[in-house]
Amino acid sequence: MARTVLTWWIPLLILQSFLLAIAFGSNEVEEEFSESLLLKPLPDRKVLAHFHFENRAPPSNSHGRHHHLFPKAISQLVQKFRVKEMELSFTQGRWNHEHWGGSDTLSSMNAKPVGVELWAVFDVPRSEVDTSWKNLTHALSGLFCASINFLESSTSYAAPTWGFGRSSDKLRYGSLPREAVCTENLTPWLKLLPCRDKDGISALMNRPSVYRGFYHSQRLHLSMIDSGMLLEQSLTVVLQPDTVYDGKDLQPSWSLSSLFGRKVVGKCVLAKSSNVYLQMEGLAHPEAHTLLKNEEFELSIKPDRTLRETSSVLFIFDIDKSSDSEPFDLSLTWKLPSKWSCQQAPLHASRFLMGSGNERGAIAILLKATESQDKLSGKDITNGGRCRIKANVFQIFPWYVKVYYHTLQIFVDQQQNTSSEVLKKINVSPSADKMSSGMMEMMLELPCEVKSVAISIEYDKGFLHIDEYPPDANQGFDIPSALISFPDHHASLDFKEELSTLPLLSKFKDKSLVRSYTEVLLVPLTTPDFSMPYNVITITCTVFALYFGSLLNALRRRIGEEERFLKSKGKKTGGLKQLLSRFTAKIRGRPVESPSSEPTAAAQSSVLSSKLLFKIILVAGVAAAWQYFSTDK
Amino acid sequence: MEETDSDPLNPTTSTPGTTPEFDPKTMRSSKPGLKRLLITTTVLFSFLSGLPFLWKSVEIYRSQLPFHDIDSLSDQIKSTPLRFPCTFHAVFVGFRSTHPDQLRSEIQDGVNRLTRRSSQCGSCNVSISVTVQNPDGHCSETLPSTCSYRCGVIKGDVFGAGLDDMVDESLDDVFSGCSGDGGEMYSVVVVNKEKEDEEVKAVVGKRRHAWIVGSGLEERYGDVVARVSEVFVKVFMNGGREDDSIHGEFMPVGSDGRLVLSFSLLNSDPRDWIYDWDFQRIDEGLLAPVTKALAPIADISVESQVLYHTPKSSFSSWDEKLQSYIFRTSDLPFFVNSNEWHLDTSAGASGRSKILQFVVYIPSGKECPLHLQLPNGEISKTNGFISPMWGGVIVWNPRNCVKDSESPSRNMISPQDLEKIVEVFLGQFRQLFGFKSEAIYTSELGSYKILPSERGFTEWELDVLSRKHTCFNLQSCSTTLGSLSRLVQSLPRMIIKDEIGEQVKYSLKAAKLAQSNASLGGYSSSASSSREARSLAENAFFHPSIMSVSYFSYEHCFAVYSPFFLPVAGHVVLAALREWKRYKQEKAKYLTWLTRKKTA
Repeated sequence: MARTVLTWWIPLLILQSFLLAIAFGSNEVEEEFSESLLLKPLPDRKVLAHFHFENRAPPSNSHGRHHHLFPKAISQLVQKFRVKEMELSFTQGRWNHEHWGGSDTLSSMNAKPVGVELWAVFDVPRSEVDTSWKNLTHALSGLFCASINFLESSTSYAAPTWGFGRSSDKLRYGSLPREAVCTENLTPWLKLLPCRDKDGISALMNRPSVYRGFYHSQRLHLSMIDSGMLLEQSLTVVLQPDTVYDGKDLQPSWSLSSLFGRKVVGKCVLAKSSNVYLQMEGLAHPEAHTLLKNEEFELSIKPDRTLRETSSVLFIFDIDKSSDSEPFDLSLTWKLPSKWSCQQAPLHASRFLMGSGNERGAIAILLKATESQDKLSGKDITNGGRCRIKANVFQIFPWYVKVYYHTLQIFVDQQQNTSSEVLKKINVSPSADKMSSGMMEMMLELPCEVKSVAISIEYDKGFLHIDEYPPDANQGFDIPSALISFPDHHASLDFKEELSTLPLLSKFKDKSLVRSYTEVLLVPLTTPDFSMPYNVITITCTVFALYFGSLLNALRRRIGEEERFLKSKGKKTGGLKQLLSRFTAKIRGRPVESPSSEPTAAAQSSVLSSKLLFKIILVAGVAAAWQYFSTDK
Repeated sequence: MEETDSDPLNPTTSTPGTTPEFDPKTMRSSKPGLKRLLITTTVLFSFLSGLPFLWKSVEIYRSQLPFHDIDSLSDQIKSTPLRFPCTFHAVFVGFRSTHPDQLRSEIQDGVNRLTRRSSQCGSCNVSISVTVQNPDGHCSETLPSTCSYRCGVIKGDVFGAGLDDMVDESLDDVFSGCSGDGGEMYSVVVVNKEKEDEEVKAVVGKRRHAWIVGSGLEERYGDVVARVSEVFVKVFMNGGREDDSIHGEFMPVGSDGRLVLSFSLLNSDPRDWIYDWDFQRIDEGLLAPVTKALAPIADISVESQVLYHTPKSSFSSWDEKLQSYIFRTSDLPFFVNSNEWHLDTSAGASGRSKILQFVVYIPSGKECPLHLQLPNGEISKTNGFISPMWGGVIVWNPRNCVKDSESPSRNMISPQDLEKIVEVFLGQFRQLFGFKSEAIYTSELGSYKILPSERGFTEWELDVLSRKHTCFNLQSCSTTLGSLSRLVQSLPRMIIKDEIGEQVKYSLKAAKLAQSNASLGGYSSSASSSREARSLAENAFFHPSIMSVSYFSYEHCFAVYSPFFLPVAGHVVLAALREWKRYKQEKAKYLTWLTRKKTA
């Protein structure tokens, strides 16, 4: 019996594996690109637009290194530097966690610190990670027209262990808060898209309207997944629709053309899917909104699908149907005043400097409870029955901010706390002068009913070498944003309907860590007068020369002889001396002293003056000779 | 202190008037002291002895560059152009009355006549040997014999029949045992057929062989000798190029010896149609042999991409007669649209390597089919053009120019079309290297059929490239090193790191090696070592430490040290001078007093 089964099975298995191979073979070859745009009215009368482009390529070892849709530059980067995962973001403006959301997927993924942030995980031996990082920063700075190469020096990046939310010993993290982000960074970013901004959703990216916004963050996330490479590019913009205030406290109405000044005239033909989503939060009657028109608002285009989530409604539009004659111009018109609030992170983080002067100061991170905490706290009841919020703090200090880690103080509800109660875990890697930056990772466990937590740490300001000052040294130095993440809180959209293949939505459905970045701090350091070294040289040299000269004079002076010499000459008074004494008398306002009263001084002055004259001539002669010889060469 | 003590004594000694002639102004009774003089001179001398140390401390580090070797290299390259040994072997089959030595001298004359004008670098030092095989199968050859040609292997009657490729292969077997005395050996086989009325046929093979077959060649003896020498010089020596058309600076190889071939498929409007290619197959099947063949000349890497929304920037017009859109040769400078064609980003090309762009342009539906019209009114067969040092463009029109219905899908360019495209590309690539792509080479004396190689370049063409490339590399290496040495000598305060010195040393070594390899006849080895020499020389010249302005100038030095040393030096020197003067004066006084005393 067993044998017959076996003989049955073997051909079946072979057939199955063959079929599987065929199926995989056909699956593997395709490179996929998809584009989507999420629009979301924000409670503070602004509109958020989130462009998301996804480019998948099969692994290069099976598929070769020639790509059809996937950008060549990125795949070469991956091959050359063995990047396993990488994220690069360019941000201008600060994400408003209170009004724009703090705990939803959009904000936890796309709220980025000001300037440039780069982190990368490499697939190389541990000793080569730093070299790969340095090469990668240079390549990226060339690719994106930004000074990412400043992240090359070991003083500007760090290797987070667990505080970053991703534990790998081949991870490097660095940020440049001062990098100005503008259109020269967007153009190379767009070049990576197959349709660039010529067609499809990306055609909306009208530079003036994008950069007029309150916040924009362009992000590039590259990851190696089982099925090859995945390149996600997203641009998040917060815009203010132009409206006239009508006094009725209505939310502003907008359309794509009023927001961006352009319309979508069709999808990018290379995209597998091309969708526009409209996410509406805090609607009064979520059930009624499947209709195109209702008493609260009106949409110009009928959505193809409507998805309901716990707190919001998502309208999905397919832009396949739009064409040159019939462009896709979604507009939203409010009819009733509407107010809602966004989901907040459990704690709101801010950071500031304390102290004054150019010598020392303190950095404080303040975590304040938000309204949403009550809602969330219910979920986090641990075994002990006590509700706890976990928060990780990750902070990089440049070496010239010399932090005293022993001065770390934690105040919970304005009461100083012994560290062990709240502070569960801390990892500190101190900075080395001009060698490496300092890093601090903290894991806090706070009671849910906490109102505020303040963390303060003192520091001394270091002195930089004269070469290390940037061109505008008086502006001050930036301390990169701290990252506060909540490991027990995950943001995800919870759709009731089953989603098939829409890339942005499947992304939103994945749980992501709730995280928020604090402000960038500006520390004024003592800036020297940059001509100082030469002044110091000149002054010390002059003092030395004076000392040396007078010592030598004292050694070879013959006082008795000079006195005799002066006595013999005492009767004659030089015209110059008379003039000089008159002049000094005039200055002092005293009558002219008789010249004979101090003959020694007079003689000395005349001797001195001739000496001086001789010296001047000598110096001039040497200078002239120098000039002559140097120009001759 | 001695003098301060003695000075008050002076009047006391004079006033009593032991000698009434004593005058305190011109005489003194005591010996002048040396103490102050000693002090000032020791200070001066310690000051002077400190100077070398100061000099040492402000000295900047300069690695010793072999200036002399650099000069001698460039002199050598300028004065004696690099020549490679080449051995030409001519086999005359079916000739009765000719003597090999006479033939050799005649061919030598012909070669000399043809090479007289072009004595440029990278050409051959010719040595010729001739074998004559008469119809009975007896051979006579010039001495010393360079080739172990076995007499009678080539049969006069049957030779030349069949495919030319087969003949080429058989010749390779015949001459497989041959090697010239250094350098490659090229052979021409002249077969005089017995049969009447056979046309004269001249073929140049893929390897290093050519053959001329015909009847009645013995009667046209002078003509045949001229043609043989022409094959040797114009084909094997100069690669079938007229008047050395390609100069060194147009050699499309980066100064680090690398070349990146970047292939781009441009869909000018994907809304009309999207075409894709299977580049992996082209790369592995068609390009790999070419890159392998060119390995001694350049380190070639291949990359590809497909771009969309890339219109050309010139306009085309509809031609009713040709039923197509045409662009003319005058439009070519405006064809490449550098704003929209994002071809240039390549992380693979590092530093100074050269990128050659090869673009396949698929026109949009509005301008399909698109053809290039030559100045004579005809349509270009290749439908492409090259831009020297940039690359080439091929316009490929989709079949029938039929738009996809509604939503365009991804079409693949068929393998046949792809092969055609690659053929055109290879032609362009050869053109960028200065070779012609025609199968017939014509000269005044007649035409030669040239067998194409599947590797893109025949062996004798590769030899020509190696020779020219070696020569150009050595020239460029010597000029680079020469300008580096001039620069270094003109800035005496510039810091020169050891690395630069070493690079210069190794570059010179590689150049020497290339020269010696060239004289021994190793074409590819001399090409690769000359490449190394050039790349090292460029590395030294563009070393980042030279680029920076961190040299410590004399002015800087003077500005830092003069505030201390000028005043102090003034004091010290003046003091010493004055003391010396005073000492002399006082000594004179003392001496006068002494003489006075003696006389008194």
